Amino acid sequence: MPTDQTRPAGPAALPERGAMLIVDDDAINCAILENIFAPYYDIDTAADGRAGLQCILARQDELCAVLLDVVMPELDGLQVLRALVDEGVLEKVPVFLITAEASGSVMKEAYALGVMDVISKPVIPYVVLRRVQSVVELFRARERLSNVVELQQADLLAQAKKIIELNKGLIEALAAAIEFRSEESGEHVRRIHDITRYLLLHTPLGEGMDMVQIEQIALASIMHDVGKIAVPDAILNKPGKLTPEEFEVMKGHTVQGARLLEQIPQLRENGAYPYARDIARHHHERWDGRGYPDGLKGDEISLWAQIVSLADVYDALSCKRVYKDAFPREKVNEMIRTGACGCFNPKLLACFFAVEDQLHKLYEQEERHGQG
Amino acid sequence: MDKAKLDALAAAGIDTADALERLMGSEALLQRFLRRFLEDGSLDALRAAVAAGDWAAALKASHTLKGMCGNLSMTALYGLFTRQVALLRAEDTAGAAALMPEIEAAYARVAAAVREL
Repeated sequence: MPTDQTRPAGPAALPERGAMLIVDDDAINCAILENIFAPYYDIDTAADGRAGLQCILARQDELCAVLLDVVMPELDGLQVLRALVDEGVLEKVPVFLITAEASGSVMKEAYALGVMDVISKPVIPYVVLRRVQSVVELFRARERLSNVVELQQADLLAQAKKIIELNKGLIEALAAAIEFRSEESGEHVRRIHDITRYLLLHTPLGEGMDMVQIEQIALASIMHDVGKIAVPDAILNKPGKLTPEEFEVMKGHTVQGARLLEQIPQLRENGAYPYARDIARHHHERWDGRGYPDGLKGDEISLWAQIVSLADVYDALSCKRVYKDAFPREKVNEMIRTGACGCFNPKLLACFFAVEDQLHKLYEQEERHGQG
Repeated sequence: MDKAKLDALAAAGIDTADALERLMGSEALLQRFLRRFLEDGSLDALRAAVAAGDWAAALKASHTLKGMCGNLSMTALYGLFTRQVALLRAEDTAGAAALMPEIEAAYARVAAAVREL
């Protein structure tokens, strides 16, 4: 007997095959549905609700759709649905109720539980095919889209991170280049960054600041001496005491630094810019008002400029410079405490000395590093 | 299947065009399912349940038969079982039992036509 293989026009076969589960205790029902969907899916069947539920839970990541009968032994279709809701499977796998009892209450509860569609038996092939395929395609499109968006977000984050790293690298390179001019190691700016960041993170000085702001201030601290690029080598590297005229030129690195930073448009759009400009101009102000260039006094000086000023003095005293040898740690702390070098906010000093043990470790590490 | 056989099935109360559409045009499947319908024990179960007054078992058997007849487009039997299921759900057991002679007659017509295939 010839077998007629022509099929009614339905949605074209989807580009990707997937798995479908048919849960029905009636073998003829199973066979009819399998016959309809076999061209599009790898079909699995379960003959009762309990077996069906186990199969769904085991294969939830690969199933494209589940066709579920209502009246079945072991667990009925609604009981299976409730279990799937508890397991959070219905958001991932579209489930269709195929039922001869499309009564008001069954349908209402099924939809309330989150079933995709309720299709009445006996099924009409082109109807059940279209309704199921539309939903499967929707789920697939949604998943493709969310995969694309996730990948794009990861790409963007990676790119943004690279750009931030590059920016930071360029800023450090600029600052280090200036340090090298004054025959220093370039480690100075790195330590100023670390001391500033440490004080903000681990003392009350950083209270009310978020991580972004703290990182911006730490980054800005690196640029505190960029104005030295405008100071001639002869003055910058002079081993002895500067003449009053030379000192005036040297003092100008604060104003020159702020002016230099003002002239980089890309930096002006960066969150670190206001801090960088302020720190470059005011890191030689003094708490008593006798600093330069503006003679600001007390709280007129921003907290970050005060912190960098103290870090700068601490680091200068702790290390050898062209004009001086390194002082021992006790001497450094005494000079800062007594006001022999600089004049600082008492609250700032209290915070500083509270964590000086940890800050000093930056120098111990360096010595070890230098010896190795 | 030739036209005579299809006509015989139609005369016995089977909408073959409708059934074939459900089976995506497969006459082989239709023949296999029709034979399986004759082998199915649900009608025996229904008879026994009605005789014993076990109405829960009767509902289960009648519901199964309704599903099979629907799938195979056995229009007359499907209509009878649909009515019987509704009566049993409404607990009109006398009404449900009273449908049995009609069901037996319709079933006999279908069975005879299927055996001729």
